[in-house]
Amino acid sequence: MIPVASPQAAADATRGLLGRMIDGHRVDRVYVEQMIPIATELFLSFTFDGDGPCVMLCARGGVEIETIVATSPDSLVERSIDPRRGLESWHALDLWFEAGVRGRALRELASVTSRLYQVFRSGDAEMLEVNPLAIDADGRVLVVGAMVGLDANAFARHPEWPAVTAADANPRERRVAEIDASVPGGECRYVELDGDIGLLVGGGGAGLYQHDRLVAIGARPANHCVTPPTGTDSRKLKAVIEAILDNPRVRALLVGFNFAQMARADIRVRSLLEVLGEKRIDTARLPIVIRLFGAGEAEARAAVAGHPSVHYMTREASLDDAVRLTAALARSPTIGVGS
Amino acid sequence: MQGITGGQAQVDTERALRYGACIVAGVTPGRGGERVHEVPVFDSVAQAAAATRVDATVIYAPPLAVRDAALEAIDAAVPLLVVMAEGVPLHDVALIVRAARETGVLLVGCNTNGIISPGKSRIGGIGGVDPSEIYVPGRIGICSRSGGMAAELALTLKRSGLGVSTCVSMGGDRITGLRMADYARMFEADEGTEAIVVFGEPGTDNEQELAGAVSRREVTKPVVALVAGAFQERYPAGRSFGHAAALIQSAADTASAKRKALEAAGARVAEALEDIPRLLAVAGVAVPTAIQSRREGETDASPA
Repeated sequence: MIPVASPQAAADATRGLLGRMIDGHRVDRVYVEQMIPIATELFLSFTFDGDGPCVMLCARGGVEIETIVATSPDSLVERSIDPRRGLESWHALDLWFEAGVRGRALRELASVTSRLYQVFRSGDAEMLEVNPLAIDADGRVLVVGAMVGLDANAFARHPEWPAVTAADANPRERRVAEIDASVPGGECRYVELDGDIGLLVGGGGAGLYQHDRLVAIGARPANHCVTPPTGTDSRKLKAVIEAILDNPRVRALLVGFNFAQMARADIRVRSLLEVLGEKRIDTARLPIVIRLFGAGEAEARAAVAGHPSVHYMTREASLDDAVRLTAALARSPTIGVGS
Repeated sequence: MQGITGGQAQVDTERALRYGACIVAGVTPGRGGERVHEVPVFDSVAQAAAATRVDATVIYAPPLAVRDAALEAIDAAVPLLVVMAEGVPLHDVALIVRAARETGVLLVGCNTNGIISPGKSRIGGIGGVDPSEIYVPGRIGICSRSGGMAAELALTLKRSGLGVSTCVSMGGDRITGLRMADYARMFEADEGTEAIVVFGEPGTDNEQELAGAVSRREVTKPVVALVAGAFQERYPAGRSFGHAAALIQSAADTASAKRKALEAAGARVAEALEDIPRLLAVAGVAVPTAIQSRREGETDASPA
């Protein structure tokens, strides 16, 4: 925030900002608004707990909010909201009163709070925080600083939302995020880490479990990922496989899925073989452990037969068996794509 | 079966019927009068409920249609809803969970893979093509945040000669209808269940709530818990590694904190799947076979 005293100063400051990089983001727009002499700073947030939406508010807001809440937790008023009724202005008024607000501002504060809940609700936000929510010298209520987190599950009904990728994503992560946004079907994600074992997993519980077990036996995954169930379109799955295999640190690959798969095993394995072929990766240098059962399993096993260093686990093998074998293979000194 | 004419619903209907489930009606608006695997199709849940005796519905609606499908079933006074869809918007989930709770309707999910009582019945996709390969009848209740890991738990039990009374995939969303502690209390009341195995993940306070129920002795049967996702704590908070629900929001949400809370409450915490039979034995469950030590189960045991 840059305070300026004249339109000319605002123009100068804007010119200085445009094109600059701040925290990895290029500035291509600048928001100019009226300086407001704030009389009172308040805090308001809408979020979800395990049951549903809830509101938190405090008669003291601003940059010190965390300290205020930590030192006097009683000053924070928290309430769950019945999603069928919403937050009416008279509910909000009682909450602000409980938080200690008195006088003329209450009426408008209650109305703004109720309307902000509407924004939270109809905008499919999973979080909406206004800090500070300000009252100026004339008693007007103003939304000065606000932060919104959107619910990714609601993207389909908000064509107005822009696609966003993490500012610190590397090219491989960004590529997967782009495919995820542009190709229909289930979600795909790829997060790169500092280890050397590529992890091709579904992304649910089994992915978390195998990652934990690798770490527990001293191995380090090179990534975590989420892959969608295979349908007719395997572009998302292939994007994740490409990212994993493009990571120069990867020394071994674990393809680990739960025992009971709806998705076809052969589609997953063929996608893997296609990417290996396109990238001309010698599987003799990249051990691959596959624990993948269910429909299409016989075809999948046949497809990898003859590929050196591809270890297709038997149906008796547990997730831990696959994890242990992968970790052992990654320790072998003679392997590595880049070596 | 709401949305019975859809692809996955047809597959699951056929499998559930074959397993012994009593499916009395399907619903797809505009398709009333048709039949799917001999099950009559109705235009609305109210019509289906009027013509047959419905005591549960499985909802196969896509994520954005779940809100209406679930509210329709609640309006028709169906006492148990099983919602399969993954990715239902949070505000919709909150709405149907609240509506279900206030009307006393049991809501399983969203994002569940279904429920199976081995040898008796199944609804949803749980168990896949041949459930007997994974689920055998027995006395262990399973509640899992992950549908896939429910199968791994059941498989681990089967390989030690144990079986399952009921296995419920409770869904991995941030907000679910029934919660882990609710299922544990149901298993506590179930004469066919001797001990409870749960699978948890980072995010939400399901496991803490279960720990509370165990320490208050609302759940006295042995509880063995496997909570995955501790690796996330090696990275900065707020980084998401999987489903949005598995996002750590506070220190109490981490896998380690959940393990500690459950252990302190008197539950037994497994580090790995293969620990579970041993922990059940320690808790007094008769485990028929010793745990096999399988180091390498792959086809080609010699790394090339």
